[in-house]
Amino acid sequence: MSQGTLFYLANLLVYGGVDAIACLGLSMQFGVGGVSNFGYIIFQAAGAYTAAVLSLPSDHANGGFQAYIGGLGLPFPLPWIGAALVGGLVALPFTLLVGRRLTGQVAAIGLLVTAVMANLLVNNFVPLFNGAAGLSLVPQPLQNVVNPQSQTYQWVYGVVGVLIAVAIYFLFRRLTESPYGRSLRAMRDNSPVADALGKDLLSLRTAMLVVGGMAAGLSGGILVGFITLWSPGAWGYAETIVLFAAVIIGGTGNHKGAILGAILVPLGFEEATRFIPAIGAPGLIPALQWVAVGVLIVAFLWFRPQGIIPEPRRRIFAKALAARAGGSEALAPSPPSSVRRLSSSGGAVNEEGPILITEEVGVSFGGVQAVDGVSIRIERARLTGLIGPNGAGKSTLLSALAGTVRATEGRILYQGHDVTREHTYLRARSGLVRTFQLASEFKRLTVVENLLAAVPHQRGDTFWGALRGRRFWGKEEATAIDQAKELMDQFGLTEYADTYAGNLSGGQRRLVEIMRALMARPELLLLDEPMAGIHPTLARKIGKSLQNLCADGMTILLVEHELAFMDEFCEPVIVMAEGRVLAEGTMAELRGQSEVVEAYLVG
Amino acid sequence: MSAEPGTPGTTPRGAALATELVSAGYAGRPVVQEISIRVSPGEVVSVVGPNGSGKSTLLKALVGVVQVLSGKVIWDGVEVTNWGPDAAARAGVGYVPQVDDVFAPLTVRENLEMGGYLLPVREVPARITRVLEVFPQLAKMLSRKAGRLSGGERKMLAMGRVLMLEPRAFILDEPTANLAPALAQSLLDDHVRQLSATGASVLVVEQRARAVLAISDRTYVLTGGRCQMEGAPADLIASPDFVDTFLGGRRRAGDPGEE
Amino acid sequence: MSLFIASIGFGIVTASVLAIAAVGFTVQFGVTDVLNLAYASVMIACAYLAYLINQTGQSVWLAMVAAALAGGIISLVINKYIYAPFQRRGTSPTAVVIVSLGILLIIEFAVQAIEGPANVSYTMGQGATYSAAGLILTGVQLIIIALSLVFMVGLHLLLRYTRFGKAMRATAADRTLARNCGIRTDRVVTLACLITGALCGVAGTVFAINSGSFGATSADLFLVLILAAVFLGGPGQPYGAMLGALVIGVATEVSAVFITSDYKYVSAFVILLVVLAVRPRGIFNAGAIG
Repeated sequence: MSQGTLFYLANLLVYGGVDAIACLGLSMQFGVGGVSNFGYIIFQAAGAYTAAVLSLPSDHANGGFQAYIGGLGLPFPLPWIGAALVGGLVALPFTLLVGRRLTGQVAAIGLLVTAVMANLLVNNFVPLFNGAAGLSLVPQPLQNVVNPQSQTYQWVYGVVGVLIAVAIYFLFRRLTESPYGRSLRAMRDNSPVADALGKDLLSLRTAMLVVGGMAAGLSGGILVGFITLWSPGAWGYAETIVLFAAVIIGGTGNHKGAILGAILVPLGFEEATRFIPAIGAPGLIPALQWVAVGVLIVAFLWFRPQGIIPEPRRRIFAKALAARAGGSEALAPSPPSSVRRLSSSGGAVNEEGPILITEEVGVSFGGVQAVDGVSIRIERARLTGLIGPNGAGKSTLLSALAGTVRATEGRILYQGHDVTREHTYLRARSGLVRTFQLASEFKRLTVVENLLAAVPHQRGDTFWGALRGRRFWGKEEATAIDQAKELMDQFGLTEYADTYAGNLSGGQRRLVEIMRALMARPELLLLDEPMAGIHPTLARKIGKSLQNLCADGMTILLVEHELAFMDEFCEPVIVMAEGRVLAEGTMAELRGQSEVVEAYLVG
Repeated sequence: MSAEPGTPGTTPRGAALATELVSAGYAGRPVVQEISIRVSPGEVVSVVGPNGSGKSTLLKALVGVVQVLSGKVIWDGVEVTNWGPDAAARAGVGYVPQVDDVFAPLTVRENLEMGGYLLPVREVPARITRVLEVFPQLAKMLSRKAGRLSGGERKMLAMGRVLMLEPRAFILDEPTANLAPALAQSLLDDHVRQLSATGASVLVVEQRARAVLAISDRTYVLTGGRCQMEGAPADLIASPDFVDTFLGGRRRAGDPGEE
Repeated sequence: MSLFIASIGFGIVTASVLAIAAVGFTVQFGVTDVLNLAYASVMIACAYLAYLINQTGQSVWLAMVAAALAGGIISLVINKYIYAPFQRRGTSPTAVVIVSLGILLIIEFAVQAIEGPANVSYTMGQGATYSAAGLILTGVQLIIIALSLVFMVGLHLLLRYTRFGKAMRATAADRTLARNCGIRTDRVVTLACLITGALCGVAGTVFAINSGSFGATSADLFLVLILAAVFLGGPGQPYGAMLGALVIGVATEVSAVFITSDYKYVSAFVILLVVLAVRPRGIFNAGAIG
């Protein structure tokens, strides 16, 4: 093999490693966390610039022909470490744009614009990073020890880059295959529901941005150490689009796919054009390259949006069963009894008095008073019903109690604490859990994953817990799977444990919703029309299960239209009409009250 | 079969609307099952029932917004199952949905003009004047954006929009939802009842059973997606089953027994 | 001070160019529900078409007519055969934005492949320079302002006073209800794409005239200004876009007096980020992202 070819292959290795690291970071942010960060390239650029100015001597040296900040002349590996750290730091302010309030499209536009503007600023503000000319003569790692022009240096550089990429792959895989990763995917699939199940969305998104930022920053640092130059031309918005294309084509939500995408798109693409003779005007081939990238993006999104290596379906349940079969304890088949309550989530609980009190709670939006002066007390361990005609405000009241909607007047006291202003996820973590009326399962999680996602206080559900690996959280997870199996057995869905929740029928998805809420170990469970679309026989079976749960100490507030159900299972029943509470009592008592009858017939 | 929406009504305007054993729902799963109802020209027919009984879905199935899974929808003697809202409008069916019933950023006048989109342009002003005679409150608000109207005014605009085409049938989905009781009663008494005076067929779905029964010629009671009762309002109100149907006390025919 | 007033004059020119583009963008978004980032590339492709015609000896203004036609057709084709199928399939709006980025790449770099990386300019006279009340503008700039006013008034008349214009607004407000009225909404969308696409073509040509020289990627930065004007006024709101264009156009030019002109886009960027973070529905709180 000729010298030239060997050098070329070493180059490929370096670029491959760098692209893989960058794509892995985006795969984590976008594929797993669902954050559409069109400004991703800024992190790589920040890393490259940081590594450069950390390793460059002060800008007055070298004849002072470049102007830049820093210039600390630090030795390897400090520039690389700095690159990763700065990449992560730069990501922090992005949480403001991607935070709780903004929807996908708008945040994506904002981030894209930020990337364009950052490029403009750096391009024009020369003292920062030497403006449009960029930085050159960047010192290479250990250049005083080994000759950077030598084959050995270049090959080792490439191998190191690839090794770092592999390490990051395993790191990210560890994060993704943990309960923490499951929470991220839940957030990606349906963030309001994840919020209502106790996930701290802001913290999750921040973590994703920082982790992705660090990966991108590191990739920039590694790259600049090899090519010794970096200028604004290297990181326009088009480069972010290429990375997105790589992740989409390789496979969204699959880190192996990200690596494949990195090899195919930034790497393979660039290199393929090398072999095309330079036909036509100069610049024709590069331009056609971009056209081809655009075509690939559109084609893949149409024909194979999941990518070449799609996100795998995790067969957690089958694996758990197999592990039991080979291991010591057998997974005992649950007796076909009714559902009993899972162990309480613990924590100090004020056992005295009603579990929930509302004081003149009101909710108004757009000039409509949906809930008006509602003062109720929900007693512990009771199955309380909430009924009323359409538009009575039942769902809105439920949402206000759970925190999905902000109460505009009054107070809500849960376990003696004023939670009126508390975030939804905090209420969920203290045991105030709700279900949703419309389909809200996590579609790209399997049934058992949906259930496991709801379990509170899991060791593996934090960033550091996830990093510590399966050895740390595996046992707890196995227990959770046992509990999930119990529930699935009671509700008759065990055979679907490893099926994507989105593929079940409407009634089955409703059951998943209920089971998931139970897995969250609620103290007070708010059920919003859980029986819609469920066969009456099954509905009564669920009703009995709910009664058992109350017998075990859980409190349930149930909104339903099936008044016969209320008859049989709920006591007391609260009637709402036009945003106010009309009456409270057993169904028999209520039927005898003329205002109640009128409310239903008159509306 | 297609009506000529510009022709002044010299012949009785209405046409009969009927369903035969219609089952309809979303994604292949029926919300309403085997419903057969009939509205004749000049009649006000109401459909009442507790929440979740499928009343709205039935109306949506009639105009083709929701898929009809089995059975037939018949208009003026012709089968039109799953025809779609624009075909329904062109045929002279005026459908007032429960929500999203006006163009909020357009003015009252523009909303009416859109209602009369199918008319020859020169006829629109005269038609607007006629609609304003029916809803004089709207006359003062022609330049106001529809999004700024109160609930009652909005509903009148929604009905006025449909009135522009002088349809041969009116289909109203809970017209008094979100209206105060007094306003609701007056909307039903003063306006909905009048719609049939021109000979049009009027089908109304309502939550406020007592109020709408007062203005109906015939009523159907839906529960659990099926038609449980049918008859003249006076007879229904007198029957003890009627109240029970709403409040679910009595076990209904077709419920599975104790397991 | 005179520099300040003169910069307002430039601001009005920029605002005029921006208004044509932003109004076209926002109306297209209102009716189609797609944030079409490829808009900038269609602008520049049409500008190039005008350039080719201009090079055969025709006046740029005549070539602009061809650019308008091309813009309309291209926009219609993209919407009908690419965005609409994705939407019918239920693709998420963010993914459709990614598709539009793909289209942006395709068109922009196809133009570059054909024309080469070097910048080009129209062959045209600048006309006399006029000054009044401290403003200094060339004849061409005055024509641009006049053109923009004509289009704004024309669009206003279309939307407010013609039946079709009202049908467009109705379709943008609630497509299903529009169908309930018997409006054939697919035809409305088609014609709306033609009209807003024509505006896109005109905007591209005028932008190229105002820039002096331009290349395939020149409109990329301008897209940021368009987005700023659109979001400031509320996405989907044409009058909001006009106001937004005025504010952004003047703000960028005036700020260039205080900061160096290289950074003049920064003020637009800051305004856009603030609007997105605080009031994504625009100053009138009336826009809507579907």
